Amino acid sequence: MKRFGLTGLGIAVGFCAGVALLPLAHGADSNSQSAYQALDRFSQAFVKVHERYVEAPDDRLMVENALNGMISSLDPHSSYFDPKTYADMQVKTEGQYGGLGLVISADNGAIKVVSPMDDTPASKAGIKAGDIILAVDGKGLQGLSLDKVQELLRGAAGTKVTLTLMRGGDDKSFEVKLERAAIEVEAVKSHREGDIGYIRIPAFNEHTSEGLEAAVRSLKKQIGPKLKGYIVDLRDDGGGVLDQAIAVSDDFLDSGEIVSTRGRNPQDTERWDAKPGDIADGKPIIVLINGGTASASEIVAGALRDHKRAITLGITSFGKGSVQTIIPLNGGEDGALHLTTARYYTPSGGSIQATGIAPDIAVAEGDESTDLPKVEEPSEADLPHHLIAEDDSKRSTVAPIRPPPNSKIADFQLSYALDVMNGKIKADSFVRLAHAN
Amino acid sequence: MKRFALVGVGMAAGFTAAVMLFPSAHGANDPSAYRQLNLFEDAFERVRVNYVRPVDDNELVSSAIQGMVSSLDPHSSYMDAKAFADMQIQTSGQFAGLGIEVTMEDGLVKVISPIDDTPAARAGIKTGDYIAAVDGTPIQGMALDDAIAKMRGAEGTKVTITVLRTGTKKPFDVTLTRAIVQVDNVKFHRDGDIGYIRLPSFNQQTDSGLEHAVRELKRQIGPGLKGYVLDLRNNPGGLLDQAVEVSDDFLNAGEIVSTRGRHPEDTSRYDAKPGDITDGKPVIVLINGGTASASEIVAGALQDDKRATIVGMTSFGKGSVQTILPLGQNGGALRLTTARYYTPSGHSIQALGITPDVAVAQGDEDTTPKIERPSEADLPGHLNGEGGPKKQPAQIVHPAPGKKYDDFQLSYALDLLRGKTTVSSIAKPTDAN
Repeated sequence: MKRFGLTGLGIAVGFCAGVALLPLAHGADSNSQSAYQALDRFSQAFVKVHERYVEAPDDRLMVENALNGMISSLDPHSSYFDPKTYADMQVKTEGQYGGLGLVISADNGAIKVVSPMDDTPASKAGIKAGDIILAVDGKGLQGLSLDKVQELLRGAAGTKVTLTLMRGGDDKSFEVKLERAAIEVEAVKSHREGDIGYIRIPAFNEHTSEGLEAAVRSLKKQIGPKLKGYIVDLRDDGGGVLDQAIAVSDDFLDSGEIVSTRGRNPQDTERWDAKPGDIADGKPIIVLINGGTASASEIVAGALRDHKRAITLGITSFGKGSVQTIIPLNGGEDGALHLTTARYYTPSGGSIQATGIAPDIAVAEGDESTDLPKVEEPSEADLPHHLIAEDDSKRSTVAPIRPPPNSKIADFQLSYALDVMNGKIKADSFVRLAHAN
Repeated sequence: MKRFALVGVGMAAGFTAAVMLFPSAHGANDPSAYRQLNLFEDAFERVRVNYVRPVDDNELVSSAIQGMVSSLDPHSSYMDAKAFADMQIQTSGQFAGLGIEVTMEDGLVKVISPIDDTPAARAGIKTGDYIAAVDGTPIQGMALDDAIAKMRGAEGTKVTITVLRTGTKKPFDVTLTRAIVQVDNVKFHRDGDIGYIRLPSFNQQTDSGLEHAVRELKRQIGPGLKGYVLDLRNNPGGLLDQAVEVSDDFLNAGEIVSTRGRHPEDTSRYDAKPGDITDGKPVIVLINGGTASASEIVAGALQDDKRATIVGMTSFGKGSVQTILPLGQNGGALRLTTARYYTPSGHSIQALGITPDVAVAQGDEDTTPKIERPSEADLPGHLNGEGGPKKQPAQIVHPAPGKKYDDFQLSYALDLLRGKTTVSSIAKPTDAN
């Protein structure tokens, strides 16, 4: 087991490039034998390209492309960051970042705009949801992972970038020139809905639990003692920072496990428990989820559901139950691996990988059509090479409650949640539904 | 400084093979290459140890080689052991498939051209279509060879492909029955006193097929034979030696083509042997944007030697040679771009294409969006051309408005050989771009 310890140290310190190589040097077991043969094949290929390619290749670029090919073949969330991307990323995690304000997804091979964020260069330039990005600065996106495309879009505020886009129904691709701007990390928003506090968490960043606590304080002040409960809206919240998901869950829980991660190595296996104190004073909570609720959001939804602290309402979530760790290579000088190292488990021990969080009360937004081709609404289980779910349970297939035909309700899920909390819909009707699957 | 010592140990253990191979090429160690290989090994080990589940060493390395090679240019790729074996079977003769020539673009498989008389051509698959999924499995992230392998299978079995077509909002499914794809026989017929010969691609039977066609046409038409139309439109190429043989059939002497790479093995020159199977009769070669690679060698050789008049539109511009380089036992093989072609006059056709002597449009080009008519210069990561931008002819002949022709380019070529005009045409200056 010694090498695990040493490897762990290597990761923690961020360099010690050679430590992980030690098992190879021992070379005795069949495991190393297979690794040795595989590496030998790689070096042969490298040498052949080095010698025979029509133009003198850039050795560095060759290996970066090899790493990109190797890592992105593992699963849709693992990728290689080249040194520049890694350096840019360091800047980004320290606060606001320069970018375009695009939320993107990989849709059956095409990089598709999920939504342009409000008040960003993307929305100002008229980029629309559903636009397909063909190239960034003339560079085709062939073979690039989603993370890599994301990194291409980001850059210092004030720098320019040209996107080649294709819009449904148009024959020709077109170019849009944009200037990157500082993208403010999205903040928690809240307002009262009668005697109910509505809290929207659009993403998990460094300020999320702080924002949530402020929102709860403000709602308590506005509504006073007749406050009935809270609706926490995690729809289309693609996740973010793990410790913020834990802090947000902890805000509503008094004790017990929030989430655990399990990997092959001790440093990837951890468990987080709630500390005493519930900022919502035990008032009822409904968490809104949908197919865009992913990762950190699913941790919150899973923890509150398993502790019966909240009712989840909406559509089965995305199902990203894996943890990525940044592993710098040669201290970051050679970039870094963004590698899936563990899975999340909710307190009841369920992995949400590929299965997602099934809502206690399945309620449709109203516009999802069940006969849409699968390709239009990707979930983790649709991504190529996704990690397979561990247990046998499939994604929930409970038929959701739909708005009555021709109803003009702007947000059916929210209005349903308000009805449940206001007692207009009987509680036992959803308890039954909760166990239907 | 301790880490450097450790790195040294790791390299000595892991990369003996590479260390020993480098001197053979350079006579000295290559510190840059050595360092890059070490970086790869470090990352490989970290994935093996830290990834959420145990990894398959061979699959990891196959993906790495694929990533490394396919990013070089659109024609370089890696075939794993199975794909390599399949390729060997395929070049030996026939295989069951759909009958499309494809390339990789934007992570999707793009149709360069459907092959005549195949399931794909009959089902209406078009040049420029993207294939997003095969039997419901998305293509994204798949290597080109893997995607092709998925489309192939036993004769008579069914396969459903999901097609994205420019101008069509949603992907649509097409179900095809795999058939033996006779890798394209030479086709021919007489058109009055002119012999028409179509070469759909270059495989092992192409040269013998051409010789047979010429013999037959001579017999059918007799001494009144005026000349030949050699149709290379939408011919995506194939075997280099067949392109050389076909060119040689029409030439008596002189260079046909030369290839130049960085390595001496990749540099060679091919000359014509005496004998012209068409007895010096006029030849018109038809080309278009789908004329690529081996076809461009033939068009270039016959054009430079003034043996033929080239009619049609500027060709694709694939002027690179790929060599199959096997990797040890069961290690698969690289399909690597190792050289460029040069026509006898010394021009590289890479990204430039062959400019026709008489530019004649088919009449459907203007309405066809660019994306449906890709050329080498449009492919991401293509090798750059040497010597200036793609040349466009100053004027292009178009069918006169209101006139409909089954095949205007062919009609124009036949007129040209007969020295008369029956087609109604207008000449338009080329657009600035």
